[in-house]
Amino acid sequence: MKKIEKKPEVLAPAGNLEKLKMAIRYGADAVYIGGQAFGLRSRAGNFSYEEMSEGVAFAHEHGAKVFVAANMVTHEGDGNGADEFFKTLQSIGVDAVIISDPALIVVCFNAAPGLPIHLSTQASATNYKTLEFWKSIGLERVVLAREVGIEEIREMRRHTDIEIEAFIHGAMCIAYSGRCTLSNHMVNRDANRGGCAQSCRWKYDLFDMDNGEPNSHLRDDEPFSMSAVDLSMLHHLPDMIDAGVNSLKIEGRMKSIHYVSTVSNVYRNAVDAYCSDPVHFVFDPAWDDEIWKVAQRDLSTGFYYGVPTEKEQLFGKARKIPKYTFAAQVLDYDPDTKIATLEQRNNFGVGEEVEFYGPGFAHFKQTVRDLWNEDGEPIDRAPNPMMTVTMTVDAPVEPYFLMRKKSDA
Amino acid sequence: MIEIIATAESLEQAEALIDAGADRLYVGGHPFGLRLPKPLSLESIGRISDLVHRRGKKITVACNALMHNEQISALAPYLSQLGKFGVDTVSIGDPGAIFVLRELGLPLNFIYDAGTLVTSAEQVAFWISQGASGAVAARELTLKELIEMQQKLDQPIEVQVYGPTCIHQSGRPLLKNYFKYTGGVEKNDQTLYLRDPKNPDSQYPIFEDTDGTHIFSTDDLSLMGQLKLMRENGLNTWKLDGVLLHGERFVQIVSLFAEARRALESGAFVPESFCNRLVKLQPAHRPLGTGFYLKNPEDVH
Ligand code: SF4
Repeated sequence: MKKIEKKPEVLAPAGNLEKLKMAIRYGADAVYIGGQAFGLRSRAGNFSYEEMSEGVAFAHEHGAKVFVAANMVTHEGDGNGADEFFKTLQSIGVDAVIISDPALIVVCFNAAPGLPIHLSTQASATNYKTLEFWKSIGLERVVLAREVGIEEIREMRRHTDIEIEAFIHGAMCIAYSGRCTLSNHMVNRDANRGGCAQSCRWKYDLFDMDNGEPNSHLRDDEPFSMSAVDLSMLHHLPDMIDAGVNSLKIEGRMKSIHYVSTVSNVYRNAVDAYCSDPVHFVFDPAWDDEIWKVAQRDLSTGFYYGVPTEKEQLFGKARKIPKYTFAAQVLDYDPDTKIATLEQRNNFGVGEEVEFYGPGFAHFKQTVRDLWNEDGEPIDRAPNPMMTVTMTVDAPVEPYFLMRKKSDA
Repeated sequence: MIEIIATAESLEQAEALIDAGADRLYVGGHPFGLRLPKPLSLESIGRISDLVHRRGKKITVACNALMHNEQISALAPYLSQLGKFGVDTVSIGDPGAIFVLRELGLPLNFIYDAGTLVTSAEQVAFWISQGASGAVAARELTLKELIEMQQKLDQPIEVQVYGPTCIHQSGRPLLKNYFKYTGGVEKNDQTLYLRDPKNPDSQYPIFEDTDGTHIFSTDDLSLMGQLKLMRENGLNTWKLDGVLLHGERFVQIVSLFAEARRALESGAFVPESFCNRLVKLQPAHRPLGTGFYLKNPEDVH
């Protein structure tokens, strides 16, 4: 009988402490975060050392890990203070750091010996000898380039035992990571130091030049664009797991709590379902429904089954994807009265259809029938951010269950 | 002391480039070399290698692709053959290729050439600790940073002094995908350009090959005006890239840089006159620029 030898980890992004806790509650085995320096997501909420300590303590209590991304490609002087940074991370108890710059790798080895290092996808590792190289340097894990196919991962696994981490979900850089400086050249922002302005998603004119003279605009009505649709390997998790991927990575340190909780929940449930009984595994369409509730673009399998065609790029008008909004978070629930206490996150009111979901892939839909404010007065709507309200719910909920609703068109 | 490195696209051009004053030729072929004026067969590389050595010059062979399993598994025999040719150096941009070289135990020199990713002396020091004899600096560095880097290192940092620079490599066939979507006639013959509508003067060359899609800077780099400063600061390895400029014209430009070197060495270098002469040789549709070299490090972040 087929058995899963090593269950892979579900690795979720966490832009701040709240998201970190939510991702772990919703099933992530590990989260990756950014510190105040040396990372690439200057705009994602980054963690102070205090927040990191709290996050690591929370994660470890829940049997989860915390990785810190320090994946900037440093210029002269940028590395100052990196030794202190890695030392502090190690003393906080961070489980690993994610680095692409060899100068930072060396600093980390010296400053924090024993702190595991993962090679960032920014280094675009695309073959097994490269994996072997980094293993020989002492790295514990390599995050693969997004340009690698499933068959290639299988072959890598046959040649090396270093841990392999691969993206399974999220937005994609259309370049080989680290090999795009469009933003440097167009807006003086260094993509490899966190400044990427997503210049690939702009519209361009494509034209032809004859003897040095601009000739035809090849198509005036359809600008050239390099925008990729997003990645989702939800339908192909068995392939990823069987290929020997150790860590299934979800992209999105800038994404919302709604997104992170939903995606972590789905992948947790699907990975568990497959790993517990690979032979009788059947795909649950509910996973798909869930994923589409937080999708921001069309989804594709990236490079895993061949080089992406025009269908995996965003041309023309984007398909309308129904949007859901995070409406409230459950603070408390009284099983006797069936009344839940909620903290509002977006305007909602009586008569609207809402959906509750919670860790372990719990779900149910209902209509909001009643609503009371903090003073116990009945109200029609919950208009104020973070206001506390109570309402009757159709099924039991628990703190940290979340409530979403369909966005107005 | 100053070394002039030029890309070569054929045996004939190689001969002319050596006549013009190049000290080292840079050639390569698919599927191991990236963004070459013309990908050459191993056989042609062997012939160029012989020629170069007969003339007392050196040759670097590009093995700087980001390699997939298929490429890396075919790399060892390729490197062995290059070793037999006696090529002086290979350029490597994927650490897996270093691993292969090590396994082979070949006494083949290599420089680290990973495009955008070589941005500090400490990184170069790492690659040197892994056996590299030097490194190619990212084009996104300022001269100030390059000088600082070179001062910390004994090994040479190669600086591109002329030609277009690659600013984007995608693993996807971006042109083919676009033409498929629009139903237009596929084109991919180094005559295509992108324009950022917000910057009407911009024209970024774009082409596709087996490594994916490549986009280049809107200007051709030229450090003709800064050669003196470079020499004074020990930046003595100059690369001229002819990836988009073929034949005789490129040879003339290499010749002009060689003349500039002689003038520098004899103290007779007048940058304005050389810059003017370069402008005359330069194709009209490719403006010259200094890229990031004259920017302040603080201006790019
Ligand atoms: S501009 Fe696009 S392709 Fe380039 S680094 Fe940014 S996201 Fe990636």
